[in-house]
Amino acid sequence: MTTALANATRAALRDTQRALTQQRRGRVLLLTAAAMLGAVLLLRLLLALPLLARTLPRPGAGDGSSTVVMLAVAALSVLVAVAVLRARRAEWAEPPLSRVALWIEEQLEGTPTHALVTWTELAGDASASLAPNDLLNQAASGIVARAADAGTLPRALSRRRWTLWRGPLLFVAGATVVLFTGELWLRGAGARTIRTVTGFDGRTPPAPASPTGGLGRLRIRVEAPRYAGIPDSVFEDVSSLRALSGSRVVVEGEGLGPDATLAIVGTDSTRRAAPSELSAEPVTADGWRLRLVAQDVPLALTMRRGEASRLLIVEGVRDSLPRVSLEAPARDSVFREPRGVLALEARATDDWGVASASFELVVSSGEGERFTVRTVHIGVRQLAPTARRANWRGTLDLAALGLGPGDVVHLRAVARDAHPLATREYGTSETRAFRIARPAEYDSVAVEPAPPPAVDSSLLSQRMLLMLTERLDARQKRMARAEVLRESLRLARDQQKLRLAVGDVVFQRLSGESSAEHAHYAGDGHDHGVDQQGGKLAMSTNSSTGMLEEGNDSPIVAINKPLLEAYNAMWDAGRALEQGDPHAAIPAMRRALEAIERSRAATRLYLRGRPPQVIVDLAKVRLTGKDTGQTRPRSSRLAIPTVSAQRDARLVAVAAQLAQDTSAAGNGARMARDTVLLLRAEALADDPAFAAALGRLLDAMGAGGDVTNALVAARRVLGNVRRTELTPWSNGGPP
Amino acid sequence: MTPHDHHNVAHGGIHPPGAQAPFVFATAQYESGDWDSAPLVPANVIDSVARYTALPVRPQGVIVPLSSTAIMQYPLLYLTGHLPVRFTEREAETLRRYLARGGLLFVDDHNHDVDGAFNKTAREEIRRVAGPLVPLPNTHELYRCFFVFENGPPTTSHEMNGWGDNLVHEHLDAVLHEGRIRVLFSNKDYSSEWSFHPDNKRFLSVDNTKFGVNLVVYALTR
Repeated sequence: MTTALANATRAALRDTQRALTQQRRGRVLLLTAAAMLGAVLLLRLLLALPLLARTLPRPGAGDGSSTVVMLAVAALSVLVAVAVLRARRAEWAEPPLSRVALWIEEQLEGTPTHALVTWTELAGDASASLAPNDLLNQAASGIVARAADAGTLPRALSRRRWTLWRGPLLFVAGATVVLFTGELWLRGAGARTIRTVTGFDGRTPPAPASPTGGLGRLRIRVEAPRYAGIPDSVFEDVSSLRALSGSRVVVEGEGLGPDATLAIVGTDSTRRAAPSELSAEPVTADGWRLRLVAQDVPLALTMRRGEASRLLIVEGVRDSLPRVSLEAPARDSVFREPRGVLALEARATDDWGVASASFELVVSSGEGERFTVRTVHIGVRQLAPTARRANWRGTLDLAALGLGPGDVVHLRAVARDAHPLATREYGTSETRAFRIARPAEYDSVAVEPAPPPAVDSSLLSQRMLLMLTERLDARQKRMARAEVLRESLRLARDQQKLRLAVGDVVFQRLSGESSAEHAHYAGDGHDHGVDQQGGKLAMSTNSSTGMLEEGNDSPIVAINKPLLEAYNAMWDAGRALEQGDPHAAIPAMRRALEAIERSRAATRLYLRGRPPQVIVDLAKVRLTGKDTGQTRPRSSRLAIPTVSAQRDARLVAVAAQLAQDTSAAGNGARMARDTVLLLRAEALADDPAFAAALGRLLDAMGAGGDVTNALVAARRVLGNVRRTELTPWSNGGPP
Repeated sequence: MTPHDHHNVAHGGIHPPGAQAPFVFATAQYESGDWDSAPLVPANVIDSVARYTALPVRPQGVIVPLSSTAIMQYPLLYLTGHLPVRFTEREAETLRRYLARGGLLFVDDHNHDVDGAFNKTAREEIRRVAGPLVPLPNTHELYRCFFVFENGPPTTSHEMNGWGDNLVHEHLDAVLHEGRIRVLFSNKDYSSEWSFHPDNKRFLSVDNTKFGVNLVVYALTR
């Protein structure tokens, strides 16, 4: 009897131990799964960020990228799983029977007697000197019987399982839902991007963009130019695709070959015959093939067979020229003697790759009517054609060029891309000019401008004022307020003096006269090209066009804008300093200093004689005297409809067509879709937002159903109508 | 400022509504080279326009930086020089927009030398900005739109005297767009030929600046 009781107690303990172990191991597995899902979710979110930011797929991305991403996700998941299992390996082991016994006793009502724990320790330990007696056996079996009675133990086990599993289980469920819905959304976003605008990155649209339209399914292959290094792409039944200019587009279909025409889509709703050859050829007895070459502008390929027709828009993407900038030398110079070495540095960027780069020199010698010119290339570099960026350096030895007085060297950086066309243009930087001075030009009376005026030595430079202000700002916490105010006011006075000096320069340059003859200041009653507004200066509306009178060759726009900016920034700084707030003055002073630096860089001296000013006396030439007659007023003519108005009218016509022909495969719907396709191709160059809205409209038309919202949205984009987004709290409102 | 006001201001003054804004001769100022090498040409052309036509004309020309959008306000832009021409990116972009909007750029090689620095570089820049230059037929309406020049562009004393490239250029070159001249390129050196004070026209038996009138009329009416 005693043995039977002991066996029953032991069996109950073992069962409970097994259940508790399963719960613990289940928790470990759930935690591992949660960690893996968390890692995947994080990685997916990071990968999705570029997609959120871009509007079109980047060129050059291929199918291989998705495999790499998948491998990366898998590797990360495995690593995370191993880490979690390793950290939780203690939980994987079985709990000792004594702990199980204690746990069972804790689940019962009342104070634990620890009889079951004691029995377990005595019965389970063979080396123990004491064996459980009958009384202990009965007490232990009684506890087990109480635990099993009325389902106390199963309820406790269920409660514990829920307590252990609910956290990771909820996380796993939530992460799965987020991952699944996010993936669906991302696929939708990708599809929205590429369904009608299929990029040349090798992606295949997930669904046909348009019905086959009676010509059967089309297969379109895009073969990019070899130099671009883009793999061929194959699309099924797209209505619009992007291709690098020069790509060969091959359209294949079934049945009899259609009549095809190719036209260039202009932004002003015009069509011109495309100069590229459109060749058609039968492939098999029941197939046809069309070839065309993508150009810089959108092409519309119209295919007709009987009543059926299809429109394919090929958006050519121009291979842009390299953008080149000459970093050094930074500005033009005049040299007294043709000696010295100049360090040259340039950089270039290109959309597909810079193939070669060099510096080009044009050396012109002579004067008056006689000039000779020669072109020299130095620092020529051949680059890997896949290099999107290039930096190159060189040196220019002026002595080696054999220059003489009056010679001018025009320097620019030149970069070519890998385009194989012999007549291909190349990218050039801005040009720097270096002139060797003539010995006589320094004593010529015709040389203008005059030497710089004597500097007012009492003025502190803007940089010095800034340093003093920064020092005061750093010390002001340790200074008395009155002292801060006194020093700040002193700086404000110096700042004002410097501002007035800058103002003098502005007015002198605007007038082109010496201030000694005629003092200029803001508000003196005549136009200087600037207006004074609340102490600050602004370019006058009458002079902001950059127009100069003949004879006045001061580069006003280049010089005065930074000086005006410096003047106004100094005004702000002075105001802050007068209020004893040096900290607030520092940003304005930095702006002023930066503007003065820009003005210095923009100043270019034209060492030429001033051309004579001739004002034709019209009355004398026409022998008419003063003209006092009235001219016949011109009649105003009707304004030409703007491009936007024309597009709006066509969009409204599309809406009318769709309203009349509600079937997606109907003739009206097909014509409406073709109109939208052409509209989108026209708007690509000058109104990309409208083109994108039309792309969404095409998506909606392809998906079937109501397209009213997409039409309304496109029309709002065209009319630049912006509406506040409706929120759940908006309580209705217009759609 | 309304567009109408802007238009008036750009042409040098405020005009009553309905009045014709006068023609303004504009000289292009570019960053490289000597853009101001022919300072008397504008006055001479203005004098001829006033002398032979009833077009309202402003008595003084303007100098417009080629990088400034102010060039959009002038239907004719005159560009000359001796030295190499390199347009900055901004100049090229502004000029491209100017030509696309219907402006006419008249480029004259002050060197009258097809091997000269100006001719080589200016042609290259024009090709980059506007497209290739092609010979302009001497029967083009430019030579008939006001005065009739039966033999095409009038010759200049500089090319007759054998200076420069020692050639008498038979025709001018142009960039055409749908039959209309966008850029007119001359190696005949009108910049030297017309660079004298207009008061001195009285010493000429034949006014050699009449072709300038055709240029202005063509720019204003085509």
